[in-house]
Order: sequence, then structure tokens, then C-alpha cells
Amino acid sequence: MVVRIVTDSTVDISPQQAEELGIVIVPLTVFFGDEAYLDGVELDNASFYRKLAASKALPRTSQPSPAAFQAAYMRLIDEGADAILSVHLSAKLSGTYQSACTARDTLPENVRKIPIDIVDSQNISVSMSLPIMQAAREAREGLGLEEIKVHLLDTLARTRILAVLDTLEYLKRGGRIGGARAFLGNMLSVKPIVSLKNGEVVAVEQPRTRSKAFERVAQLVNEMGGIEHISVAESGEEVGQQLVQVLRKTYHGELPIYKLGAVLGTHTGPGTAAVAVIVAK
Amino acid sequence: MQEQTPHTAVRTQRLRRISVFDGQDLKKAMLAGAAWLEEHRDAINALNVFPVPDGDTGSNMAATMQAAIRDIVNSDETSAGVIAAKIAHGALLGARGNSGVILSQILRGTAQALDKKQTFTATDLANALQEAQRMAYRAVIKPVEGTILTVVRETAEAAEKSAERGDDLVALVQEMVMAARQSVARTPDLLPILKQAGVVDSGGQGLCIILEGVWRYVRGESIVTAGTVSTPSSSSKSPTLLEQLEPGVKKGRVQIEEEFGYEVVFLLRAMNQTLDVEKIRQTIIDMGGVSTVVAGDEHLLKVHTHTEWPGKILDYGVSLGSLLDINIENLQEQSLAYAAESAAEHASDAVPESPMTGQIAVVAVVSGAGFEKVFSGLGVSAIVPGGQTMNPSTEELLAAVEAVNAGQVILLPNNSNVILSAQQVPTLTTKQVGIIPANTMPQGIAALLGFNFEADFEINCQAMSEAAKNVQTAEITTAVRSAQIGGVHVREGDYIGLVNGNLTFAGRDMARVIRETLERMNIDSYEIITLYYGEDVTREQAEETARRIKEQHSHLEIEVIDGGQPYYAYILSAE
Repeated sequence: MVVRIVTDSTVDISPQQAEELGIVIVPLTVFFGDEAYLDGVELDNASFYRKLAASKALPRTSQPSPAAFQAAYMRLIDEGADAILSVHLSAKLSGTYQSACTARDTLPENVRKIPIDIVDSQNISVSMSLPIMQAAREAREGLGLEEIKVHLLDTLARTRILAVLDTLEYLKRGGRIGGARAFLGNMLSVKPIVSLKNGEVVAVEQPRTRSKAFERVAQLVNEMGGIEHISVAESGEEVGQQLVQVLRKTYHGELPIYKLGAVLGTHTGPGTAAVAVIVAK
Repeated sequence: MQEQTPHTAVRTQRLRRISVFDGQDLKKAMLAGAAWLEEHRDAINALNVFPVPDGDTGSNMAATMQAAIRDIVNSDETSAGVIAAKIAHGALLGARGNSGVILSQILRGTAQALDKKQTFTATDLANALQEAQRMAYRAVIKPVEGTILTVVRETAEAAEKSAERGDDLVALVQEMVMAARQSVARTPDLLPILKQAGVVDSGGQGLCIILEGVWRYVRGESIVTAGTVSTPSSSSKSPTLLEQLEPGVKKGRVQIEEEFGYEVVFLLRAMNQTLDVEKIRQTIIDMGGVSTVVAGDEHLLKVHTHTEWPGKILDYGVSLGSLLDINIENLQEQSLAYAAESAAEHASDAVPESPMTGQIAVVAVVSGAGFEKVFSGLGVSAIVPGGQTMNPSTEELLAAVEAVNAGQVILLPNNSNVILSAQQVPTLTTKQVGIIPANTMPQGIAALLGFNFEADFEINCQAMSEAAKNVQTAEITTAVRSAQIGGVHVREGDYIGLVNGNLTFAGRDMARVIRETLERMNIDSYEIITLYYGEDVTREQAEETARRIKEQHSHLEIEVIDGGQPYYAYILSAE
């Protein structure tokens, strides 16, 4: 059985990695004023943050259109897929999941010959990519759709993400601040730690400095229990390295680092670093 | 009459011998104690070890005593046990500051020992004092000798010995006062910081003064109560203490009557004779009317007065003309209602009345408009105003805890003087209350920043306590008197720098004092300094100060915040 994995550009893996694993990425769009860029295709991490620094107006984001999903699904069907597993960022943060569902549901009958399962990961970026890459490997190994999906949901349930932001401005202006609005009245400068719960942003803690924030994140990671997989996402190398150094004090296994894409960048801003953990069973 | 004098010499100076007191005696004794303390309030405040303008023991103990007598001042109750219980209850709720709380425990212990007793003897009182001193020691986690604890203990010991000797109440109280005076005098020998500062312990002195007030009442007691024996040598002709002390006692009572009794207001229209405004005013004053205002002319005037006997005043008015717009208010009810109202008002003053999480709310004691904004911005559900000297009563803390919309409440005392009052709160409410040992407002802020929205109540109490500990607080203020503490010479009017409550530097030049104080707190080992400037400092001055600090310590991040606090020019946290 050939199962193909589809996701969106907020998965924050490089085009090369995607190709190696056979993952199809449907990109979101980032707007700077009137200019539209396909996330991860026309705008990568470095070019996004350069533009952000130079731009007066804040960028906006938009989910892929159903047509984009339909095009991706149809291509995979033509290539001989027996089933499609389409996994996307939290439906509470974006209309992407909804767009994918609409795309599937409006595919013409004669085209829609195979099962297309669409999953709201309730996660994003590195907390989504770890489980998705695992699913892609399983698909390569020939596992069936149901089995891969069960594993995927199980893994997603055990995935946690913690992010340290420089400021809440981007979350606030992008409208995704969610539970982190508890931090908003603060007059003191802090480096907020946020997480995702049930697909929404939640407040965790507000340390005064970035180093304190990373120390706290490392402590919280340690408290999670056994680590099955862990990875870091960074808006830029400086913050990423800082976080990695702190994590390395207690964790000595593999620690891959990914770059936050333009969509993530739009909603979190510069100076952001996050760590995702799949907690062992 | 001094320490070495044999007991017999002291006996001859007694006027009376009294075996038994009842509830009314206890009430009058307490009123006398409260009044005498009120007179000495400022003197006791001046005994503050640190030459800083807060932590006023005299005011705190006086406020506690006023709360203690509030419910008994108009009471006819004759049972000593009932009176004592009311006193203890009032003190418990109204206790302010550490000394106030310990005093309330002393009263509580006394009340427990007198429970169900209609009257009490010298022996009963001696036993009550033993209970009182035990309760006082239990109230403090780390009892320190050379404080009010030592004084109540040594007084209780003297009372025990006196009772064993068969002394009556008058002799016993006298022994207590002698012992208390000696104990207070010895406190500098037990607590070095007192010796350095050249003062005796303020809490101990406060207790001693209260006992002296009681003694003054007891000494001249001539009221015949059940079982009283008048010795022939007593001069029945000399004025009774009540009469003698009437001016003194009345003075105390008058101060109380400012808030109690009735407010009587009416218009008086002349009928058969014209009105003599001056004469009417004087007559009402002579009748015991307080805060009397009589305004108008010979045809129509308005009377406003406070009195315990509204009928008398009205009768007088009726004899002069016709009364209109008569208004009588119960002042005690009014002031209680006002207190409850303003406590509720302040409890809902903080911006988010909604708790931090569905279950947990935070209540903080805060002083300074800017600080209030910081705490509100951090999600505090209720702010208890600390006032000039950061000493809210247990009652005020309790009101805030009850008012917030959560079953689990975390309390930030933000001053070491408030911690004992705060610790009374969990026993007075069914809500789950956690007290964070934050001794300063910056520690309270750090605790709030350490709040974890994903964790439960227990974990948060722990985490917040940890966070509070990791903050160093420096305070810059002006010395209210000269002192020498820990090798630092302080002249009145000097700027002084304190680090975590310890005096570290003093001088005439503010900039230098700030610099030196920061050096002494190893400022370089921290990352971020938050400088909260007080109500007498402008933003420009504060920013200049921050700039200078940054010049000396370039790696530090410095944040300047308007704290608006009274007395302390700068409060600074280092983390």
C-alpha cells in the first residue's frame, strides 16, 4: 500500500528533507503589503527576517486555497497513491485544516478514488514535524493508512512544545495570542514562555531575561519525563544556539535544529526559539 | 518602688485589695490599657530600630488595641470570659504588624484561659498569662529573645510567683508591671541590635505600657464588686481611681467616642424665646457632646454633635424651641459599614477581578500607585493597600481573600511586617490560602512572574516562593533619626541604603549612597535591575540615576518603573 503524506509549510522542514521523505508540502502565503510570497518556496527563514527588519508594516499570513490542496491531492492520485494522510497545523491557529477538508470534499467523484484522511495536528512547526516525519518513514516502510494514522495520533498526543519569545507583539497583532493574553498587562520586560494546549497558545511563565527563560524551559523539559525525540526551532542562529547550549547541559542525545519559517515568523517575531519533545510512553 | 524593695514595702502603697474581677472590670481595665497606649503611641514609634519611617510598632499596637476594645466599649456584659473572648476576637481581626499580631495572640491566650469564667482571681490571671505567653511564642516561627516575647514571658513568671504568694489582683498587676519594666530594660542585653541602636524593644515597651494602663485603673479601684475586701488602712476619702483617672480615662474614651455613640443633627427653630447660639453650644459641650457644631442665629440654628445620650441632647433642644430635620446615626455601625465597604471597594480595585487561572487568584499588599499598576498588570485579582507604612490588618487581608472569585488564593504580603498578619488568614477562611514569603514588593513581583499557568496550586506556591527568594531588594530612603547599626553611622536626614532589609550605607549624597549600596549587593553578579522610583522622585531623576548605574556597570540591563511608593526614593530589585 502506498500511503503519501501531505502537510503545509508551517511544518518548517527544508525542501530537501521533504523530498527525501516523500512529503508533499502545500505552502501558506505571507503578505508584505501587497506583495505575496509562498512560504518556504519564495520566502525562507533568512529572507523573511531580513524583510521583516526592513519593513515598516507587519506581514500577514493566509492559508492555502482549497484549489492548492486539490492540485496536490490529484497529483498524488495520478502518481499512484493508495491513500493520502494530510496532516496540518492546529485548526485554531489557521484555516488551513478547513481548506484541506473543503478541497477533499469538493473533489469530483471520479477523481476521488482513494481515502484521504485529514488530521488537525493541534500542533505546529517542530511539534508537528517530528510526528509527521515519523509517519513518512512508516509510509516508506509500507505500513497501511490506518496503522500510520493510529501511530501518528498517539505520537501527537505525546508531543509538547515550549517557545520563548522576545515579545508578545507579534502574537497579539496576528490575533493568535490565545491564553497568552494573561501576560499582556505586564509593565515589566520579560521573555514569555508559551506553549500549545488543545491547539491553542497558552501562557506558561514570564521570566525576566532570555537566559532565565531558557533555563526554565530546560527545567520544564526535564520534568516531562523520558524523551523519545526532541528538536529545536530557531528564528535565528543566535537564539537557537543559546537554547541548545542550555538543553545540552542535561540532554546528550540527538538534537536537530530547524529554522522557523515565514508564517511562524510572522506570528512570533524575531528572537524566538522553541523546543518540541515527544515524551516517551 | 523599685526592684530590690522587699515585697512588704510595696504592699503598703496599695490602696485597695481586690480578690475578684468580673467582665466590667476587665473591660474598664482594657479601656485604660488602650488609652494609656494611645498616649504613648508616638514615643513607642520612635523606638524603631531602623531609622526608617515605617514598621510603626506604637501605631500598630494601638490600632490592634482599638480593634480589641471596639466590641466591648458599650457592652454591659458581666462575664469576664465573654468580654475576654470579644477582646481577643477584635484583636485577631484588627491586628496590624508583627507586634500587633503577637499582642492579639497574648489576648487570645488570656481569653482561652478565662473561658466560661464569670469572674477571675489573681491565680486565674496568672494562669491566663501563662497561656498567653505560650500562644505568643507559638505565633512566631523563630522566636527571638529580647522582644515582646521575652517581656510577656517574664511578666507571666512574675505573675505566677505573685499568685503563689497569695497576692490579690492589685498586687499581682503591680508585680506584672514591675517585671515588665525590668524585662523591657533588659532587652538591649538580649538583642544586640537594640543596644547598637540605643533603644529598648518597641513591642515589649508597648506591652509594658498597656499593662501600666491596666495598673493605673486597678490601683485606685474602689468599686465594690463581689468578694471585694476593703482594708481599713485604705483611705476611703481619697478620690477613687475612676474619678481620679476620669480625665485620663475619659480622654481615652473621648477618643473612642469620636467613632462611637450617636451623631445627632437637627434644626432648632425659636418658639417662645430667641436662641443664644454660644450658650447652646456650651451647654451641649457640657452635656458631653463631642465635635459639636452649632451654627445659625437667634431664630434658627443647626446643631451637630456626637454623644452617647442622644435623648438628653434632644430633650434640651425641645426645651428651647421646635426641632426639625432630626437625624440620628449610630456612629459605630457607620464606621463598621464604612470599613467593610472600603475593604470591598479596594478588593475590587485591581484591574482584573478574574483570577490567574480558573481556580487560583492572587492577592497582594501594595503601596504606591505605580506599584499597584505593575501588580494589576501582572494579573493580581485584588490589591490590599499597604498605606504609608505597609501594615494592613488581618481583617483587610481576609476581606480581599474572600472577595476574589476563586477558591484557591495566593497571598503576597510584600513586607516582613505583614507576614504574621497574613498567616492568620488561612485559619479564618474556608478557602485554600497559600502565603508566599515575599518580604518586599520586588520579591512579590518576582513571585508573580514565577507563576506557572499550567501548574496547580501546590506547585505554584512552591515555584512562587522560589522565585521570590531569588530576588535581592535594595531600598534607598532618608533616615528619620540618627543611629548606629552594624558599624554604619547614620545621621538624621542622611540618605540610607538597605539591602534585603539590612542597613548597609549612609551618607549625604544620594548618588554616592546608591552606588555604595549597589556595590555591597554584588550588583555585577546579576543581569537585570529594575529601578522603581518613589512618589517624590521624577522620571527624569530616576532615568539619570539609571544612566549613572549603567555607566558603572555596563553589562546590566536596567529598567526604570514608576513605583510611586511613599518614603522610599528608590526600591530596586536585582535578578
